[in-house]
Amino acid sequence: MSTPPGITIEKTGEQGAFGGELLTVNFGPHHPSTHGVLRLIVDLDGEQIRRIKPVIGYLHTGIEKQMEALRWQQGVVVTDRHDYLSPPINNLAYALAVEKLMGVEAPPRAQALRVIMSELTRLSSHLVWLGTSGIELGAMSMLMYCFRERDTILDMNEEISGFRMHTSYIRPGGVMADATPRFLEMLDTFVRAMPKNIDEYEDLLTMNPIFRSRLIGIGRLSPEDAKVLGATGPMIRGSGIAWDLRKAIPYSGYEKYDFEVATSNDCDCYGRYLVRIKEMREAVKILRQALDTLPDGPVNVDDRKMLPPPREELETSMEAVIHHFKLFTEGYSVPPGDVYVAVESGRGENGCYIVSDGTHKPRRVKFRSASFVNLQALERMALNHMVADMIAIIGTADTVLGDVDR
Amino acid sequence: MIPEKLIVEQGVSAGDSWVTVKPGDIREALSALKSDGHRLMVFLTCVDHLADASRQWPARYELVYQLRNLETREQTRVRAFVDGDPPHIDSVQDMFPPANWDERETYDLFGVVFNDHPDLTRILMPDDWVGHPLRRDYPVGGEVVEFSQEHESWQTAPEKA
Repeated sequence: MSTPPGITIEKTGEQGAFGGELLTVNFGPHHPSTHGVLRLIVDLDGEQIRRIKPVIGYLHTGIEKQMEALRWQQGVVVTDRHDYLSPPINNLAYALAVEKLMGVEAPPRAQALRVIMSELTRLSSHLVWLGTSGIELGAMSMLMYCFRERDTILDMNEEISGFRMHTSYIRPGGVMADATPRFLEMLDTFVRAMPKNIDEYEDLLTMNPIFRSRLIGIGRLSPEDAKVLGATGPMIRGSGIAWDLRKAIPYSGYEKYDFEVATSNDCDCYGRYLVRIKEMREAVKILRQALDTLPDGPVNVDDRKMLPPPREELETSMEAVIHHFKLFTEGYSVPPGDVYVAVESGRGENGCYIVSDGTHKPRRVKFRSASFVNLQALERMALNHMVADMIAIIGTADTVLGDVDR
Repeated sequence: MIPEKLIVEQGVSAGDSWVTVKPGDIREALSALKSDGHRLMVFLTCVDHLADASRQWPARYELVYQLRNLETREQTRVRAFVDGDPPHIDSVQDMFPPANWDERETYDLFGVVFNDHPDLTRILMPDDWVGHPLRRDYPVGGEVVEFSQEHESWQTAPEKA
């Protein structure tokens, strides 16, 4: 018998319930449906899963170590890269943590722009999830539809920050640059078009009999288990608990926007799918409100010890030149102490714990990533299911391996 | 609440309340918090205070446990300072299941040994890795990057690189 590449099979010698022997199957790390480089060592009884051991670390890039070697303002670039599907949300967690420790608050326009970027990112991250999960579950055309809209979002990223993916747009003290009129126009067009596009996705999937039979009743996670295992994001909301950091511990002015926390009482893969679709609709709602109420004013704090002076000032003011020089050679220092700030990313609680020793570089930066914790619930969800169902379960857990391994 | 007799020090840092306990009391302190409603362990990590001049530290390694009460949204940070090579502290993964991987990660990157952990193995670094990368005396760039120019010269003449 020949096995596909990426899969090896071994006999354990243990007796299974169906008269056969338990087999240990290695799944990944190069298997295309593992969303990156997740490796699972699965013990199978026939086709039923008896044990799962996730093996992670294949995408470990030492981001936390690199942060310690970079100055506070340089670290932003690295935060982009841990959860590579939602860079601005990672930036936001880091920026809020640094600001909280320094005791500054971003001006209202910057806060509104941060909300806009966060919600755009949530949309683009859910679109990648929907497209790839669709492919895994047999809906081959989903990816085309989802990436069509995602590309519009990436165009907007490019317009506002110059980068399509790793934007580094949100920084301690504010944002990189003000939104251009063209960006606001693009956003307006996008917000008008998006509800119809989401209807299109739903037409394709929500009542699709194949899609439903592959998701309903699969990967159950009871509300109690979700709480005990520390699941966050769509994983806990798909189990019927309305826990959303945007409502529970509001940040960056989220308390001003009117939106609902998407939940589903299904507690299975289908419930998590419904939650994400609802979240996309709510994100569009927030975008509309943020665009309509976007305040005027500066987008950065007026603090020369933290952010460089405007270019014009450098030609007339000696003090501005000194500040500029100090900021770009030494950087700013953050008062000693530690702080934990959490924001809601597409995957759940994306937190940043920073410790400062009063110098211009962090003593320790820890990213609390949602995928790392949510992945631990995999065994609870996949036990006694078939191997093919595991694909649906990994898919709807929506782990990003860059976020797991950091 | 943590019983008064366990508290070594407490305070507020940038709006987050924290409590320091003795490393031996960590299980007692966390189970007191858990029965009080702080049922979610948000994260567990370690901070290496090697050559940290910002204040007098009781020990080199500081273990940080962030707990949250999902009903009242209250958060508490518990600290414990440990020393030694390798430093030891009791595992809490039976009380808080998410701590299981967090403890493995802390062991992997800092070399802190969690007593009674069922599977204390490396989680992010390869199993045969030597050293604990997030310790402050472990240099950035101390490892030759694979497929880089240095790696090529190191492969051809390792004694000269």
